[in-house]
Formats: sequence, structure tokens, C-alpha cells
Amino acid sequence: MIHTTLFLSNDTSSRAVGVDRLAKLLQDESNVRLVRTSSRGAFFLEPIIERDMPDGRIVWCNVTADDLPGILAGQGGVALQSIPFLAAQTRFTFSNFGITQPLALDEYRTRDGFRGLEKALVTAPDKVIEELKIAGLRGRGGAAFPLWSKWQAALLTEEDEKFVVVNADEGDAGTYCDRMVMEGDPFRLVEGMLICAHTVGATRGYIYCRQEYPAAAGSMKAAVHIADEAGLLELDGRRFPIDIVMGAGSYVCGEETALLESLEGRRGVVRAKPPFPAVSGLYQKPTIVSNVLTVATVPSILARGGAWHASLGTDRSRGTIALQIGGRVKQPGLVEIPFGMTLRRVLEQFAGGMASGSRFKAAQVGGPLGSLFPESKLDIPICYDAFSDAGAILGHGGIVVYDDQTDMVELARHFMAFTADESCGKCTPCRIGSVRGRELLELVQAGGATTADLTLLSDLGDTMKTASLCALGGRAPYPVLTAIEHFPHEFKDRLKM
Amino acid sequence: MTDESSSEGLLDSSLLADCSRSEPSDRPNILKALLAIQERIGYVPPRSIPQIARTLGATEADVAGVLSYYQDLRTTAPGRHVIRVCMGESCVANRCGQILRALKDHLGIDIGETDSGGQFTLEKVFCMGNCAVSPTIAVNQTLFGRVEPAQIRTIVDCYR
Ligand SMILES: Cc1cc2nc3c(=O)[nH]c(=O)nc-3n(C[C@H](O)[C@H](O)[C@H](O)COP(=O)(O)O)c2cc1C
Ligand code: SF4
Ligand code: FES
Repeated sequence: MIHTTLFLSNDTSSRAVGVDRLAKLLQDESNVRLVRTSSRGAFFLEPIIERDMPDGRIVWCNVTADDLPGILAGQGGVALQSIPFLAAQTRFTFSNFGITQPLALDEYRTRDGFRGLEKALVTAPDKVIEELKIAGLRGRGGAAFPLWSKWQAALLTEEDEKFVVVNADEGDAGTYCDRMVMEGDPFRLVEGMLICAHTVGATRGYIYCRQEYPAAAGSMKAAVHIADEAGLLELDGRRFPIDIVMGAGSYVCGEETALLESLEGRRGVVRAKPPFPAVSGLYQKPTIVSNVLTVATVPSILARGGAWHASLGTDRSRGTIALQIGGRVKQPGLVEIPFGMTLRRVLEQFAGGMASGSRFKAAQVGGPLGSLFPESKLDIPICYDAFSDAGAILGHGGIVVYDDQTDMVELARHFMAFTADESCGKCTPCRIGSVRGRELLELVQAGGATTADLTLLSDLGDTMKTASLCALGGRAPYPVLTAIEHFPHEFKDRLKM
Repeated sequence: MTDESSSEGLLDSSLLADCSRSEPSDRPNILKALLAIQERIGYVPPRSIPQIARTLGATEADVAGVLSYYQDLRTTAPGRHVIRVCMGESCVANRCGQILRALKDHLGIDIGETDSGGQFTLEKVFCMGNCAVSPTIAVNQTLFGRVEPAQIRTIVDCYR
């Protein structure tokens, strides 16, 4: 009997738009085999069904139940390579996405999996760190700190115990690449953790995963178990245990020191630095705290060499960036490209312009601590330097696009309310300032504010920027102040005469 | 159904047995213990704080401090189904306000409330990583993407 193999993504966002319903209908077809893969990240096309045909991989997009007979008959569909959103990307960290089954260890191995670890195991720790230095890899969680120098500090600190902690709190609204990595290519994260552990001499690993990601945590647990059974967690003659720990819904617990407090079971309050975690972190032991994407990038650097990584991107932003496009655009999804393309080009080429019937108003880059970019500021290249020169951040690579129906005063209030809710309370500018900021914006909304109140709001923002202990208070004013800067009339029109 | 928290706020001791130590440290991990309790009985009854503190070897103030700090830790029993509506920025851009209004209207409750029949609790959340198919709601662990206000009735009524 001839079997037809169909490929469907098992990613959370694919399932949220009905892939499971299609899979259920197809299960009853006697000669059909279903393979559930990771997602290509072209979420605007989901539900997607793929099939290998004589001319290569054919893709059916936005599939409904009515399309199934045609798909089974091999009618219609488009060639995978003909989808510009995917063809124009440079996939390295996401090279397996849409291709492999997340928990198939053999598939991961076949596609160069564990080559980075093999290399690391026969390389002296200082040479591994040298390779990372050549690579120019900077942390992808938001602070963009060079990874090699953290590893160096942890390596040089003598202790009987050291830890590797993966920051999987992915708190910035509008970001989802960490979730995709954990759900879709979990062995890559395990490999990155093992390379780190071997290099700095760590004895134990943790993945601190936000509570909103049950599927990601499940996939990571399964992958760690499979890796353990396969003997892969044996490192330098002893077992390197990896635990997946769930958070409890606090944004500030994504900040590395608050995360460590939370991992120890206490209130997730920010610790003053120094000491830095690489020297004194979890239980005061040297601890590498790194973002999921950072850790998942390490295997390819080891496998291909630091120079390869450094050849991508711009001068001080090496490698690729995983942009996560969301909001009111035609083509929301994951885009991995070398650093350097302008924001405008990303929005045109990948986001495909605005959703039908909507007009562009602003793009927010870098999550709730990022800045708003109006139409006139879109020619900025996507790299760390250009963003920091503009007083902005790339954060974790989230881009959310708002249309002309968005009320900027309400959006500004939303951000201040978020900060007031999420402040850990350790320092006054953030704890009190965010509440005052929210109140002032509510006063603007109620039509009771004066020009003096707007001045007060901006002074308050400046105080928060300079006097807060961590980037939550320090950067929370940015979306608010850039909203006022670029859309001043919306605020002024609501003032009391 | 037996309510493990019923007899004067005392929790089944087996609930806390596994949680009192947190490898590799020998200090108690309060958050882990509270999450384990919530996993089993749906919430952490505040009147059980003294018992939890005693079992863990922590102070009552420490336990109460952790309990009040984390948004996901509940101090009252939730409804049978928890509906979370995303208020993150991608969902804001895609009109989650309308979704929230539809949910409030249909359920007759506000954010943070449980309906009188104890069936549904309505909560807000900031991003579920489902931004590329926003707006998003979740019913228990099931996510729904590209939600339209008109679908709310159908989605919710599946769980009645
Ligand atoms: C308020 C706040 C929230 C943060 N949230 C996250 C997060 O969710 N995920 C993350 O990886 N880093 C987050 N960070 C950055 C971390 O503090 C830290 O820089 C990062 O985990 C280091 O990893 P990296 O070097 O790989 O980026 C946050 C920082 C702040 C101030
Ligand atoms: S800025 Fe805010 S979140 Fe950061 S330490 Fe201060 S109070 Fe806590
Ligand atoms: S902003 Fe709603 S799912 Fe991310």
C-alpha cells in the first residue's frame, strides 16, 4: 500500500489555530502517516500541511478541513522555496525548524547535532572561551553582554560547585523565540548547556521556565530525559543533572538576580550587583545565567568556528538575530537574519506591510522596556550600536506593530500600569514612580491634566531612568516618553485648558 | 471530593514532605513548596501558612511574603476552568480589549473573579508567547489564537 506522509507542526501557536483538529481528521485516513515537526515560524500561514512530492517539498497554507481531500490527492499547494518569507531568511539557530521532530534524537544528530559538544570536549576551556570571543556572541536576553567574559569569570572562580542557569522566563510581550526553541529543538539547548558546563566546570543545570509555557517545559523535560537515557549527560566522568523549574508569573524574575532569588524559593527581588552571578550567583556559587537563545547559539559556534559567526552581521553585532514579529501586520512570525537590515525593510519584506484595512502608526521594538518608532524613524539598522545611539534597545528581538486605531495615551498608561504591577519594590524611583506615572496618565485620560502634569511625568521618567537599580525601572519610561515625543498632540489634546 | 485544606487549614503532611529540602541547598525552597501545594489543591489557603512554615523550617513572615509576591499563587480556590486573556502588546495591537469585553459580558464577571456557579475564573496575563497568532486566550492549558469576539460564546460554552 502506498503511504502518504504529511508534515504538520506541533508548535503551540500552530495548535492554537487548529492544526490538531486537522491532524485528528487525518488520523482516520488509513494510508496516511502524520509527522509532527517543529514550526517554520511562518505563523501567518498556519495551519500548514507539507508533503514531499516528486518536485520537492510542497506546502499547503491556511488549511481548512475542506482542503484535505485535495491535499491527499496531491492537488494545489506551493513549492516551499517559493515562500519569500522563508526563502529570504538566514537560518542557523533555527535551521531545524519545520524539518525535524523535536524529540527525535537521531534526527538532531543527523543534522549536525552534538558536533559542537564533541568539539568542545576535545578543546581546552580557555580555547573554547577564545572561540566565543572571536565569535563576538552577545547575550540575546536583553542586556547584550559578551558571553565569553561571563564564562571566563566563572572558569576563573574556584569553587566545588558551579551552576548553569538558562533564563527561559521570556517575559517581554511580543517575543516567542525561546518558546519555539524549547518546544521545537530542545536538544540544541541541552547541547549548549553541556558545552557551557564542560567549559566552566559546572556541576548542575537549571532551566527557569515561565509558567505560561507548559508545552515548552514538557518538551524540555522529555528531551533531558532522553538525553540522560542516551548517556549524554555524562560529562567529564560524572552526571550533569538538568532540572526544569517553573516560574510563578513575575516579569522581574526574568532579571538574572531576581531569577536566582526565585530559584532559591524566595521573593523574586533584584540583588545589587556586584557581585555578578558568574562569580557569586545561585547559593553564592559561580553561575552562568544566559538566555535560551544565547545558549542555543553556542553549539553552531563551536561546530563551525567563531570566525564563521563573526562573519555574519555588523561590526559590533555579530551573527544573526531572531526577530519575532507581531501586532497588526500581514505576516507575523519568526525571522532569523544577520544583524544590519533596517527596521523599515524588515517590516516591508518580512512583515509584508499592514494587516488589511490597517494603517501603520508605530513599531515597538524590545518589549515593554523598548521604544516606539514612528514612520519617520524606521530607517534604523537592526544592530546594538544603532539602537543604543538612538537611546533604544533591541531587547529580546520582539517587534510589535500598532495601527492608527491605537490610542497612545492608553498605551502609555498600559506600560506604566504594567511597571507598577511588576516592580519588585526594592527601589523607590521604580516602586513609587511607576504608580505616580500611571496616576498622571489616568489624569490625562480623564481630561484633568495640565501641561505641568506632562512636565512632571517627563521629570518622573528621567528620575526613574537614572536612579533605578535595574532596567525595569530604568527603561520602563522609554515606551511612555517615546509615545509622548512622537505623538505629542494625542496627549496635549486631552489636557485641561 | 475531599478537600485537603478543610480541617482547620491543615494540609495533608504528604503534600509538604517532598518540598522541605531543595537540592543542592539544605535551605527550604518556599516557592517550590507553595507551587506543589497549589498543583495539588488548586490554591494555597492562607490559614495554612503556620503549618507550612513549621514543616519547612521557615518563618511565617517568609512564607506569607513569598505567597503574596507571585501573581500565579492563588489564595482562594479558582473556578473549575480558568480563562486567561492576554493583555500583552501584540494582543493589544490586535484588539484584545474587545475580547476581554466579550468575555466579561458572556461570563458576567470581571478580571480576578469567579462566577457564582464556581465554573469559570477570569484572569489576565501578559503574553503567552502566542503573539504571531494574537489575540490570544487560554482556557486552562489550551490556547486559542486569532480569536474574534464573536467566537467567545462558542469557545466558553464548550467547557460548560
Ligand atoms: C526586568 C527585566 C526582565 C528581564 N527578563 C528577561 C527574560 O525574560 N529573559 C532573559 O533571557 N533575560 C531577561 N532579562 C535580562 C537578564 O537580566 C540577563 O541579562 C540575561 O538573562 C542574561 O542572559 P544573556 O546574556 O544570554 O542575555 C531581564 C532583565 C530585566 C531588567
Ligand atoms: S528598578 Fe524596579 S524592579 Fe528593578 S530593582 Fe528597582 S524596584 Fe525592583
Ligand atoms: S502578546 Fe499576547 S500572546 Fe504575546
